Amino acid sequence: MSDTSHELPFWKKYIFSVDHKVIGIQYTITALLFLAFGFFLMLVMRYQLAYPNQPLPGVFASVLGEPVIGEVVVNEATGEKGKVLTGDGYNAFGAMHGTIMVFLAIVPLAVGGFGNFVLPLQCGAPDMAFPRLNMASYWMYLPGGILMLFGFFVKGGAANSGWTSYPPLSTIATTGQTIWLLGMVVLITSSLLGSVNFIVTVVQLRVKGLSFFRLPFFVWAQLVTAFLLLLAFPPLEAAGILQLMDRVADTSFFDPGGLIISGVERNTAGGGSPLLWQHLFWFLAHPEVYVLILPGLGIIAEVIANNTRKPLWGYKSLVYSAIFLGFMSFIVWAHHMFMTGMGTTLSTFFQATTMIISVPSVIILTCLIISLWGAKIRFTTPMLFALSFLPMFAIGGLTGLPLGLTAADIHLHDTYYVIGHFHYVVAPGTIFAMFAGVYYWFPKASGRRMNEWLGRIHWFFSFIFINAIFMPFFFMGMAGVLRRQFDQTETLHGAAVQGLSVMATWAAIGLAVAQLPFVINFFWSMFAGERVGQNPWNATTLEWSAPSPPPHGNFDTVPVVARGPYEYSVPGEKDDFSMQATA
Amino acid sequence: MELLLAQAADFKPYGNWMPPDLSVHGEKIDQLINITHYFMGVLFVAWGIFFAYCVVRFRAKSGGSAQYHPVKGKASKYAEVGIAIFEAVLLLGFSMPVWGEYKNNPPAKSDRIEVRAIGEQFQWNFHYPGKDGIFGRTSAKFIDAVSNTIGLDPNDENGKDDIQTIGELHLPVDKWIYVRITSKDVIHSFAIPTMRVKQDAIPGMEVPVWFKIKPAATTENLIKSMREDFATAKSDWYRLRHHVATKSYQDKSGQTILAEGEGIGFSRDLGEKKLVQLRKAGIETISMRPANPLEVICAQLCGNSHFKMKAQLFTYDDAGYEAWKKSTIPEVIEDF
Amino acid sequence: MSATVIPYDVKPHPLTGMYNGKFGIWLFLASEIMLFGALFSTYVLLRVGAPDGTWPIIGAETTRGDQILNVGLAALNTAFLITSSVTMVLAWANLKMGDFKKGQTMLLVTVALAGAFLVVKYFEYSSKLHHYAVTFDEHFERDGVESRTFKASTDNGDRTIHYLWGHVEETKKDSEGTILGYVFAPDPEPGHEGAEHKKVEIQKSEIARLTTWGPEGSSFLGCYFVITGLHGLHIVGGIVVMLWFVLTGSKMWKSQPDKYANRIECTGLYWHFVDLVWIFLFPVLYLL
Repeated sequence: MSDTSHELPFWKKYIFSVDHKVIGIQYTITALLFLAFGFFLMLVMRYQLAYPNQPLPGVFASVLGEPVIGEVVVNEATGEKGKVLTGDGYNAFGAMHGTIMVFLAIVPLAVGGFGNFVLPLQCGAPDMAFPRLNMASYWMYLPGGILMLFGFFVKGGAANSGWTSYPPLSTIATTGQTIWLLGMVVLITSSLLGSVNFIVTVVQLRVKGLSFFRLPFFVWAQLVTAFLLLLAFPPLEAAGILQLMDRVADTSFFDPGGLIISGVERNTAGGGSPLLWQHLFWFLAHPEVYVLILPGLGIIAEVIANNTRKPLWGYKSLVYSAIFLGFMSFIVWAHHMFMTGMGTTLSTFFQATTMIISVPSVIILTCLIISLWGAKIRFTTPMLFALSFLPMFAIGGLTGLPLGLTAADIHLHDTYYVIGHFHYVVAPGTIFAMFAGVYYWFPKASGRRMNEWLGRIHWFFSFIFINAIFMPFFFMGMAGVLRRQFDQTETLHGAAVQGLSVMATWAAIGLAVAQLPFVINFFWSMFAGERVGQNPWNATTLEWSAPSPPPHGNFDTVPVVARGPYEYSVPGEKDDFSMQATA
Repeated sequence: MELLLAQAADFKPYGNWMPPDLSVHGEKIDQLINITHYFMGVLFVAWGIFFAYCVVRFRAKSGGSAQYHPVKGKASKYAEVGIAIFEAVLLLGFSMPVWGEYKNNPPAKSDRIEVRAIGEQFQWNFHYPGKDGIFGRTSAKFIDAVSNTIGLDPNDENGKDDIQTIGELHLPVDKWIYVRITSKDVIHSFAIPTMRVKQDAIPGMEVPVWFKIKPAATTENLIKSMREDFATAKSDWYRLRHHVATKSYQDKSGQTILAEGEGIGFSRDLGEKKLVQLRKAGIETISMRPANPLEVICAQLCGNSHFKMKAQLFTYDDAGYEAWKKSTIPEVIEDF
Repeated sequence: MSATVIPYDVKPHPLTGMYNGKFGIWLFLASEIMLFGALFSTYVLLRVGAPDGTWPIIGAETTRGDQILNVGLAALNTAFLITSSVTMVLAWANLKMGDFKKGQTMLLVTVALAGAFLVVKYFEYSSKLHHYAVTFDEHFERDGVESRTFKASTDNGDRTIHYLWGHVEETKKDSEGTILGYVFAPDPEPGHEGAEHKKVEIQKSEIARLTTWGPEGSSFLGCYFVITGLHGLHIVGGIVVMLWFVLTGSKMWKSQPDKYANRIECTGLYWHFVDLVWIFLFPVLYLL
């Protein structure tokens, strides 16, 4: 019985597919849509921040309604009114922007999208270890995401207590918070199923000859990421259940008792601790940020090796650093809680571990930069994104240093400096890596190339604008401007740097426009892009030994591996690349 | 350690870098932040130069090939070790001592002014112990939203001389201030940027912070020395609403449009009207200063008016502080 | 039928010595350890921080859970679960030895024991949700019923708690449905279980707090219900999976008996874990 005699119906082939490639594409497209939506929320917020209390442009005002939108009088004489974002609306957009970006966009794209599509191919496997489980994890992610968004339509609007959902604020918040918690439970389950799949696939399904130290760094990055997701998410699931209980069953896990909300005493048993939530939340959320960056580092490594036409420098250091980073990420979490009143013993421990964890990050970045030495650099679109990633990630990583030192954190905690720090790592960091990955693997997934010129325009303007958004944030943070402020001009020091806020807003609008070439390129190329063969980039790793796109089962003949993943420019060879698959 | 005390003339109003530092411990924090940034700058420039060199020098050219064998050299190892050592120095030599001082050595009870800061949605309530130095008991059942926001127990003798204020913190300079921070409802954060003070206000917990304000930093001195913050008459009234004019402005007929010390106004009506009047009189720029230069803000998301949750901070020299104390009448809680 | 053949689906991998599913289940169990670990940590933190006289419920003399939980029933449940783990192993062993009928029967016995566990849990929960604790602002006395007193020492001095445990016989409401008060039957004093059942009317205004012994009753009860509840959900999940195998097993047994036995093995691993969680749970909540 051959494969082709079993033609699957449309719904089994494209909707409820168990093929990792289809699932990977499903994840990618869904995640990109969520990314766009999260970006939209932020654009509205940015407008409000630049022009506080001034009417929103018509395009926004027509789409949004209560309770996020309120009214303001525009013209005293005529009594004409305009729509503005309300304080609650701003907080809801802010909380949902963070939640959507982290849990619905970046991780599903980096892990669910790229991980699913590329990982089995790079291992020489026909599919993931558990294809049906893989399908289940996507079909929990999508409903979970939709459930999260549903919060916008309930009374009181979406969750508005930050993506961090600190109680007691989140305990007394409106219904949207309950929906957020339920959505999180679904999403965490989806993530769990996925991480089991990744680990088993990497360990058990590598083809003959593909030892651990012959794996592409991308696979190592995904493997460490999968362990982080597997072990770090459950405490947040537990915390989510506890907060749900506090909200709907009147328990007091996070309620110390005697709270007076708007003059009314909340009659609960008490005895709980708001800090308990913070510990449980950050126990996940710190490893989560490494989940956000590791797959990106993996993609960058692949693109750099391919476009420098030489092996990566310090492969073993990269691998050991990634593993050490994963391990350390579990013991730094309380550096998010330095200002809660913790004593010197606890804070010293976490400061020390935070300093230590910067070492593997520095090693990884240094290895990638040194990989450029002696190279023959091709400035393809993926490489443009990969190269610009390096200094951006450096800025993001370095600005973590003053935040990790408690004394400096006194001034910088909860300011825009923090926002600048993590956005540099995730936005010109991870998102640029994601773009690099899309441009790099699009030909493999579709059999067609994306347009290089549109790609370069996309890169150039994105790079300019993304820096113009986030660089001012460091200055605003130094000036003392706090996070999550609906209107920073309410404080004197905030008003003084309002100009930087206006600049960031216009840069954000520019960034939005700069994505148009990408969107056009992506969809147009799918149907009319230049057709390519198996290995358009002259790359070495196993996925390039399969057809473009690979059929169900991936490889015509199962590859056998006898070399490392980056055998480029091997002296004495005819081509400047030697593919990993020898058979 | 002898600390240099800033002159009032050094007070520059808020701008694109750190706010003025008016507390005694603030200097060390600023020093740590500055050193760390120099270190970061050195690393970034070093990486950047190497990176830029590679990108230019090793561009793909026709002919030639990339170098298969890894470049050798101990430089990266030394750099790595150097970085780790420097971070250890930052941690052990700077951050830990400063943090330890901030957290571990409270001033003696007899040597400090105590005040309780109780956050709630969306205001700061302050509770002073009065002459006897003992805080009266508080309980939820005595809370009144207007006259007794902290719930001072009228039956407690110690509370009879206590002072309560809403949204106003009055402190003397050059004395240790010990603030006991808590919250009634959700997590807030007691923050004074100019004093480099920040501490979460967590319900169910009372966490202290202590600091000393530089002697020259009385509100009076700050206002006198404040450099003008020029605004144009085309400026958004919204941005000017916490500012007052440093001199008076008249229209063409000599009528005062904006008097010295007068603000633009908190409402859009009045604000815009004033600006229109000024423009009509040909006045393009006006010089303004913040009405009250020091603020206590809330640094932890606490609801829809989190951004408005602030208190005015007034600082006094000894004489001024005594005068303020005399002027306050402890809230009289009557049993009806 | 899927055309792709996944390696090591049934055959063990030389490096790990396990087939894919077994490795997968072990990883899943690692994450489950983190889940229950977080909840146990929560329990520890809340217990250590509990003010005097509030753990496990307001007015309790010591901090031991057995003052308000039924140790006997829990011991019975422990017996059920341990036995079910044994029958689970027997199910797998029989399948490995080729005896489908015996294997499936043992599976069914496991399900029955798990069901018995849930029935006992139902009775436990039910009794809690119908039991009440009421605290008063000041000492309460009426119709021969007196509130009990507990003196707790705190940093701010001594605090006296006036409370009663018992059952709400009747809720008194006015014409609009607003609650005016309750008819309350206090528990007999310890040692006087045979005494006559007293009843007393309590006005709503006299009550500081009235709560069931459900999750909102105290932080201990919150922990108890969440941990045992989540554990219970895991039991239900196990039952669903086992029933699925009982009902549909014969199809896979006919075509791939090895794979079927493996699936039961994986289910067994999961089941042993659920059993293990209970073995930690029981002493921590009920005995310590």
